[in-house]
This record gives sequence, structure tokens and C-alpha cells, in this order.
Amino acid sequence: MFSSLGNLQPRQLAAQVLNFALVLSTAFMLWKGLSVFTNSSSPIVVVLSGSMEPAFQRGDLLFLWNRGQETQVGEIVVYNVRGKDIPIVHRVIRRFGGGSAPLQLLTKGDNNAADDTELYARGQSYLDRSKDVIGSVVGYVPFVGYVTILLSEYPWLKTAMLVFMALTVVLQRE
Amino acid sequence: MADTKISTQSLADLKNTTDDALGNYLRGLDFKQDNTKIDVRLAIGYASVLIAAATFAADYKLGWEVTKTWTAVAVVAYALLNGAFTYWMWAVEKGCVFDGAREGKKISISTKTKKYDPTYYLTISLADSDSIDIKSPFTTWFTSDGYFVAQPFQQWLASSIEAIGDVDGKNALRDQRDDLAAPTAGVAVLPEGNGTAEASGVDSKAKGSKRSKRKG
Repeated sequence: MFSSLGNLQPRQLAAQVLNFALVLSTAFMLWKGLSVFTNSSSPIVVVLSGSMEPAFQRGDLLFLWNRGQETQVGEIVVYNVRGKDIPIVHRVIRRFGGGSAPLQLLTKGDNNAADDTELYARGQSYLDRSKDVIGSVVGYVPFVGYVTILLSEYPWLKTAMLVFMALTVVLQRE
Repeated sequence: MADTKISTQSLADLKNTTDDALGNYLRGLDFKQDNTKIDVRLAIGYASVLIAAATFAADYKLGWEVTKTWTAVAVVAYALLNGAFTYWMWAVEKGCVFDGAREGKKISISTKTKKYDPTYYLTISLADSDSIDIKSPFTTWFTSDGYFVAQPFQQWLASSIEAIGDVDGKNALRDQRDDLAAPTAGVAVLPEGNGTAEASGVDSKAKGSKRSKRKG
């Protein structure tokens, strides 16, 4: 397998490496393109907890849209808790302000007993629509995100997958 | 090269091995390789990879909010470069495996295979004549257990491409070359011939027609 790589001309080797780099960079740029299009830092997220059951299960894949900031009560939004980078998917149950005033939101998980004030950062009792929210849910695919839950719970799987991808692309010339 | 075993059922293996051997053979015959096409491809490709890498670094260090505008620019630039890359491969390189010249005479060879058809298709473009298409089954130069054999491959090339046959006399098969290159030899014996001889003369002329331009 590796001996066949040794036979390559330097330019052919450079082309092989390029093929692999292009696979990675194209995937990354597609993701960034989607980010630009939806105006959201992470346009696709995976539901990590059961707090929105029965609407969303663990492992559901959500598509977000962050253009148009006039979020209404009943919309499901994804937000980041300040200081922690864990996206949370919950439903808006109250809104304050809006229009020219900055919009503030209170959220709650459908499956939770209380609203989210406990979850917010210390001293924060509402979400700032423009700062904290990364998008409203506009579509979802059930279950397919389970792979990423596995990947984040078993980090060595990520390494294994990356190494496997690298090897197949470099060693195969089709 | 010749001692690497490949799977004879894999068309990609057959083609890649043969492509590599083709380049080696021509370089061995003192054809000077011209790498402009692949260099342009590598330049475009690596430029786009650099853009993606820079975007990744900026995003990692500064975060989404700050880099939003530049990310949009980078995405557009990446898309354009990627388009150019694809265009270059499909419209300019067109499967070119060897671009080069010997004693000022340019030669450019591109190869292709068709799905599930173990035949090697070559297109040879020369500076001073039309391009020539030739083909041959891979079985001509691969053994049944998957080893590449140089001699029949080189004989095939030297006998069917005159620019190569001129340089590699020992591989250019006499009868095939004559048949291809000089229809006059067949015509010369014709004077007292009958209808059948006439027909074969016409036949060999037709075969040689691609070549005759060069002669005439």
C-alpha cells in the first residue's frame, strides 16, 4: 500500500495530498457557507438532552435560521449560555421589548418543570435575542445526529475517524 | 514499477499503473516533460486550501461574530477557485498524462477508460498534425496475475505513434510501422495486380491516411 506512494512523482504526491486537503476544506467551507447563508454561527445542531420531548428527542438534527430577529412566543430557539459553549434548544414562553427596543426572551424546555432562569448565567434572568440566541429551529431530521452524540461522548472515535478518512483518501486513486 | 502486483479487475489500478509507466517510458526516451498544466492545477488547489485554512484559523481565534464579513468573502472566493479547479481538470487537462517535447517537437498524450471496459484509450496530439486516437486492451501488457510488462506496452506505443517509433527503433515493429506510415510501399507492387490486390491497396491507404499528412 505505502510502497505505491513511494513510486509517485513529487507532483503526483502533491496532487494526492491536495485531494485529501480539498475534501476537508470543502466540507469546512460548505459549513461556513451555510453559516453565512443562515447568519448563524452553527446552522445545524444536534439535540443533546431530552428536555424538549416529545417535540425533539436526543439525537435529532436541527436546522437553524437566524435572519429576522423578531422571535415570537412559541418559537423554538437555540441559545448559548454566556460563559459556557453548550447550545440549548428550548421554547420561548415570554418576550419583552422588541421592535426598536432590544428583544428579551424567556425560555423553557417542554419537558422541564420550571423555566430556564436557573440555567442562565449568574445574575441573568432573560436571554438577549441578538447576543445569546444562535437561531430559530426551522426544520429537523430525527435521530441522524446520534453519531455526533457518540463522537462527543467517546472522543477517541473522532481521532479514529479522521485517521481512517486520511488514509483512504491518500492511498486510493479513483 | 513492473514488480508491483495490481488487481486486474480494478480499472483504476490498470489505468494508473499504465499512466505511470507511460510517463516513465517517455522520460526514458528523452522527452522533456512540461508540467505547466499540473502546476496550475496544484496552484489553484493549494490556494483554495490556504483560504479555507485561514478562515478556519480566524474562526478559531476570533469567533464567528467578528469574522462574519470576511468569512462571507472567503466562502465566495473558495467557491470561485473550486470552480476554476474543476474547470481546469475537465476542460483543460482532460485526462492529460504527459505533456512534453523532444527536439522541439511537442507531444501531448491524454488517456481515459470507459466504465467496465478494460480498454486503454489514448489521444495523442502533436504540434504539426491532427490528434490521433488509439486504443488497446489492458491485457496486452498486463499478465493475468496483475503484473505490468513493459515490452508489449512500449512496442504498442512505438509502433502506433510515429513520434515515439522514430526515437525507439528497437520497439517499433517493422511491419506495423510500414503499414501505418508508408502506404506507398503497398501501392508499389500493384501495377500488374488484379481487383483483389487493388482492394488491399486501398485498404492500407485508408489505414495510413492519418499519417500521410505528415509525409505529404
